[in-house]
Amino acid sequence: MMPRQHISTSTLRLAISLLLVMVSAVSLQAQKLKLFRLEKDSIPMLRGFQVSFDLFGFGQLQLSDYGQYEGAFRLNLHDQWFPIVEVGYGKANHDHDEVTGISYKTSAPYFRVGVDFNLLKKKHSSNRLYGGFRYAFTSYKVDLWRQDFPDPVWQWDTGFGVFNESCSQHWLEAVVGVDAKVFGPFHLGWSVRYKRRLAHQDGVMGKTWYVPGYGTWGDTRLGGSFNVMIDI
Amino acid sequence: MRGRLLVVLFVACFFAGCTSIDCPVKNTVYTVCDIYDGYGNLFKLEDTMYVFTTRKNGSDTLIYNAGVGKSSFTLPIGYSNPEDTLYFVFVNTDYAAKDTVLIKKENYPHFESVDCSASFFHRLTGVRSSRHAIDSIRITKDFVDYDASTAHFHIYFTPRH
Repeated sequence: MMPRQHISTSTLRLAISLLLVMVSAVSLQAQKLKLFRLEKDSIPMLRGFQVSFDLFGFGQLQLSDYGQYEGAFRLNLHDQWFPIVEVGYGKANHDHDEVTGISYKTSAPYFRVGVDFNLLKKKHSSNRLYGGFRYAFTSYKVDLWRQDFPDPVWQWDTGFGVFNESCSQHWLEAVVGVDAKVFGPFHLGWSVRYKRRLAHQDGVMGKTWYVPGYGTWGDTRLGGSFNVMIDI
Repeated sequence: MRGRLLVVLFVACFFAGCTSIDCPVKNTVYTVCDIYDGYGNLFKLEDTMYVFTTRKNGSDTLIYNAGVGKSSFTLPIGYSNPEDTLYFVFVNTDYAAKDTVLIKKENYPHFESVDCSASFFHRLTGVRSSRHAIDSIRITKDFVDYDASTAHFHIYFTPRH
């Protein structure tokens, strides 16, 4: 069989990451902790909800051969903490690459859960600067094939492909974003994300290309979104 | 503070907008053969060695040409054949010998990215040969991929060589 990343490696990586987060959290000095403490004022704890839609992934899907539809539901706790769930449906249909002749097709839902923190000093203003993190997961199936081609030495026609290959991926994202009020309940905002894979199952082919919600593997670990948001 | 933040965000957006083709530099799949004498010592073959195989249309094709003084060499491996048949020919001024080598294997399509050429990895499951110049062949690494740093076969020659 082909060499695979052992699950123990991924688990170890996750354990080390969690340990580092815990150590960092413990070593924070008291004055830094103040930043994350809920402000004592007359503003209620539950400030409302917000739904949002990502236009970046939608545009990507219209203009290229992969992308995603994505929406999010965010809770506003005292204008400081924002627990969030992001749900999307990622698609790729790369048909017959003009250089390599390879076709790649997948479509699957994904989700992210996490929390954002308002980094501005004036927490209760209508504009916000966020920092946060997400845990994300997707389980997807891949069709990957190429037209038969001759072996360069023996000249026998060679088939290349797998269909309905089950794959999955867990990953983390660090997020920085802004949210600006436009009018009424409508906001516009964007985010930049740094992504790290925690564990992945890529099937028998060795690797995958587009992972729903994560994007294409290999070119960059950075991603982004442009959101239309509505306060509820 | 605000200026620094803008610079950081600009750099992040700049890199997020970049794409690159991320194919491995070592992207050929070959078998590596080391040559041993009849006593199990690595040695340089003094004969001139040629390796042939037979194509789909029945014609012969040369896959290793006129190797002299080699103790290690590489050979291509068939993408999808369950068994490759290779003909080793050894020529000296007063001597010529031919051995047939049959390599059994399992073939696995390997994918890197849609930007990278399709390739195959292999699991070697058996090898046998005639015994004219070659005494025996042993599989020393059964998985054949982009890694050509260690030998897949040890080829032992009869004492005359």
